[in-house]
Amino acid sequence: MIRVKRFKLQPVHLWIAFLMLLLGAGLVAYGIVLVKGLSVTNLSDLVPWGLWITIDLSAIALSAGAFTLCAVVYLLGLKKYEPVARTATFIGLIGYSMALLTLLLDIGRPDRFWHAIVYWNTHSLLWEVSMCLTLYLCVLLLETAPLIGRTDWMQARFPWLSNKMMHIHHFAPILALLGLGLSMLHQSSLGATYGVLIARPIWYKPSLSVLFMFSAIVGGPALTVLITKLSGKLTPRAKVDDTLLEKITLFIGWALVGYIYFRFWDAFSMTYTYEPGKTEALGMLTSGPLAFNFLVGEMLLGAVVPAVLLLVPRFRKSWTAQVIALMLIVAGVVAFRWDVNMSGLLVVLTYLPQEVTTIYTTYFPSVIEIISGVGVVAYGALAITLAIRYLNLIDHTKKEKEVVESPLVVAGTD
Amino acid sequence: VKENTTIQRRDFLKFLALGSVAAGGLRLARLTSASETGGSSPYRWAMVIDQDKCTGCGQCTLACRAHNDVPPEISWNRVLEAGEIGDKQVHLPRPCMHCEEAPCVNACMVGASYHRADGIVMMDYDKCIGCRYCEVACPYGARAFNWESFDGPNPAVPEWGHPEVERRPRGVVEKCSFCYQRIDRGLKLGLKPGVDEEATPACVVACPVGARKFGDLNDPDSEVSQLIKNNPYFRLRDDLGTSPRVYYLPPKMEVNK
Repeated sequence: MIRVKRFKLQPVHLWIAFLMLLLGAGLVAYGIVLVKGLSVTNLSDLVPWGLWITIDLSAIALSAGAFTLCAVVYLLGLKKYEPVARTATFIGLIGYSMALLTLLLDIGRPDRFWHAIVYWNTHSLLWEVSMCLTLYLCVLLLETAPLIGRTDWMQARFPWLSNKMMHIHHFAPILALLGLGLSMLHQSSLGATYGVLIARPIWYKPSLSVLFMFSAIVGGPALTVLITKLSGKLTPRAKVDDTLLEKITLFIGWALVGYIYFRFWDAFSMTYTYEPGKTEALGMLTSGPLAFNFLVGEMLLGAVVPAVLLLVPRFRKSWTAQVIALMLIVAGVVAFRWDVNMSGLLVVLTYLPQEVTTIYTTYFPSVIEIISGVGVVAYGALAITLAIRYLNLIDHTKKEKEVVESPLVVAGTD
Repeated sequence: VKENTTIQRRDFLKFLALGSVAAGGLRLARLTSASETGGSSPYRWAMVIDQDKCTGCGQCTLACRAHNDVPPEISWNRVLEAGEIGDKQVHLPRPCMHCEEAPCVNACMVGASYHRADGIVMMDYDKCIGCRYCEVACPYGARAFNWESFDGPNPAVPEWGHPEVERRPRGVVEKCSFCYQRIDRGLKLGLKPGVDEEATPACVVACPVGARKFGDLNDPDSEVSQLIKNNPYFRLRDDLGTSPRVYYLPPKMEVNK
């Protein structure tokens, strides 16, 4: 029987259309980059990494909700957060695919992307990162498989495959352990990618790996909770349990305090001695072109304000304050990645023997870089929107249903 | 469907099997990776640049562009102005330092930058994926990315020489190679790099005032060994511990002239 549903234009349709529009523009820009090469960017030999690397690093950091929450649920055994972990896992999968899409754009020879897996230089931090990314993407695919297998459509069309996919859920604890290991490795190594370079004094310190890891643990769950809370307000398809989320936001708030502590000492300890290159780069952050981004974007709005909003109970109880705090955290993580990359690259230390001078250079992404970058972000937003609509991505009521169902299942098998 | 997450023995074994297959596959992939440093070499190539002699004419850069088919917007060998002594402008030619502890070699994730046994830091242009991490890692700005493809004639050819190596494609990083092609070919012909022109880097041959010397540090009698032994010298950013193989003889004050 064919049922004809009358199409009624809802805001979500406009949202999807808007994202498709951005995605389309992004695809065109992506094509232009692939055909014309990186000369269409504003990157240079002095600033070889720019907007795309920031999107890349941010996407990975903000996907950290997946490993954090999976570890909480399957390793610490806090089962009640399982529905949130499921949402986080899917967001993680999309985030990592965004990172891979951006990386493909950023490398000069995208046709050779597979070299990263086949040819090994085990001394390279980027080798370690690309290995972890590849393996962790596999883990995320396995972790997401039950979510896809569970859909009515899969069950009706491919019952065998659907069962197999759901069966993977048995491995959740092992996958969570693998995910935790791989994530801790590469989230830190991404900071170390910068941190081991003696050529760039502001990067050359062990703290970057710690800070990258820490900010990911704060930012990842923040994005998951943010998307969940917004969806709960905007669509009836997302069934949200706010008390469940409040505990997580409290955790995020305290983790943020820890992050501020590390970040403060990291910056403060650099202010004491003059070190060529490092001091100039710090100057860029505190009073130069990156100052607004660092002081206001990263520190005040990205860390201090949300920490207050999430830790003072009066604010935390307010939906609006919570959502604002989470948005600020997410933006703060992005600002942190941008500042790290830029502060190291915009200061060029000369190697002349007579004088240790620093030269400043500039970078602003080209239109093509921006459009293709926005396209990648739009892809992520679209994928998550569709998953909320069609994959039942956010459903905190599932737990109760299970309680009702499971005795029947047990009874049936007895 | 049950939603329990207890792992049965069978599942665990399956998982282990899957893991070992994956590890084995990766191991196999590892074996296919070529251009390992390997081997040993009796030579340890180095360059000595005498700042006192260098006039900053830039002929080294042009000869380099011709012999290595380098596009006009890239310089493997840059000649910088480096202050003045009295009223004399001092110059600093900067090839790749071919560092013993090369940050680029450690940085490169696919091993496209690697050490040859004779110390030359080489680029495998067929492996490079163009991630530009090496550019970020190099303290000397010695690396250049091919932002565009280099088509058409090379303006430095034929005036300054003829290309001896393949042109690099768009999207890979390139840099000075100490003219390895001239060294290797020369050695095969029984010539001595640093002494015989055909076996010596093009920039050294092109220098009209003899400010650049090339040779083997393992040979105590080579010109480079002697120059380093008998003169004060410095290396660029020696404080970084990169241990460059390019040595500079500083400019001297001109007295009573």
